Amino acid sequence: MATQEEVRLVVPATPEFLRLARVTATGLASRSGFSYDEVEDLRLAIDELCFALIGSRGREGTVNLRYAMPEGALEIEGSGDFPTATATPPALSELSRQILTALVDDYDVYLADGGHPAFRLRKQRPGA
Amino acid sequence: MGIDGAQRQELRQKFVQFADTRDPALRDELIEAHLGLAEYLARRFSNRGEPLDDLVQVASVGLLKAVDRFDPERAVEFSTYATHTIVGELKRHFRDKGWAVRAPRRMQELYLRLGKIVSSLSQELGRSPTIPELATEAQVSEEEVLEALEAGRAYRFASLDAPSPGDEEGDSLASQLGDEDPQMVDAEHRAALSPLITRLPQREQRILHLRFFEGLTQSEIAARLGISQMHVSRLLARSLAQLRSAADDSDG
Repeated sequence: MATQEEVRLVVPATPEFLRLARVTATGLASRSGFSYDEVEDLRLAIDELCFALIGSRGREGTVNLRYAMPEGALEIEGSGDFPTATATPPALSELSRQILTALVDDYDVYLADGGHPAFRLRKQRPGA
Repeated sequence: MGIDGAQRQELRQKFVQFADTRDPALRDELIEAHLGLAEYLARRFSNRGEPLDDLVQVASVGLLKAVDRFDPERAVEFSTYATHTIVGELKRHFRDKGWAVRAPRRMQELYLRLGKIVSSLSQELGRSPTIPELATEAQVSEEEVLEALEAGRAYRFASLDAPSPGDEEGDSLASQLGDEDPQMVDAEHRAALSPLITRLPQREQRILHLRFFEGLTQSEIAARLGISQMHVSRLLARSLAQLRSAADDSDG
């Protein structure tokens, strides 16, 4: 397929809506041929990064997610649009970093354009 | 709680000292001293259909928060303060259950069925199956598989101590993990990264270690421990949720 496939999702920045972020990710991962193990890992990784973005109880505002599917991989970017934003990247503990390293091939937390806290992750299908 | 006057005085002193030093050893000691309270309160919520084991853990998270936040300068006993915090945590736990509890029966049944299918297909294929493979085997759509897995991930409609879908002979996880693996007893590496990990039950610490520090896949962990992949997924999700909840509060 010549054109880059992409899915966008905007959800309120509260824990109950992260379910949609996970379901979208696993739906796309399944479509790309990821295994059960990898899909479960992806779910954990999304939670880890999304909660770093919104905090464990959520906050006012929205999370903007972008899913891209380059050959044999899934890439997800998420950024927070918060009315009371502090312009700092999401904070990850040492433990979170260790966990994410085990779950995905690449990830990063950063400050996106406009001062929005953001993350991205990439998971590659083994052998793809 | 069987704490007499002298002990109470001593504990009060320790809280003053802890407020000052934030000494982790002292913190552990204060938590230890009040675990009975956490358990007592957890029991009071145990008639609501949640396993006591889970509730004790939730209560312990509340206790942790209470110890960290308690201000000994305030004219309130720690036990009063902690009771408030722990009950709050337990109530939040029940409130947050949300839709998972109301997951349609059909989804619950599919989830239980998928547990067995994941195990048998993994064995047959020699690798972790894909979602389309699971859907074909279960004779449902991919969407239904994903929906059921998401519903089950919330772990709430199945007790973690009950036999898990796909577990052999219905041995409960607790009994299978009864023997300590000497390698795993060495918790220093984990503890250095986060003292919060040491608050998790032994079996969950071990699974975390195997997945995130030893780099085993969920299937490999399932095979090593003789439990289902699904059970491993659920325990990991629960552990991470609890670590987040605890970290959130100890960071302020």
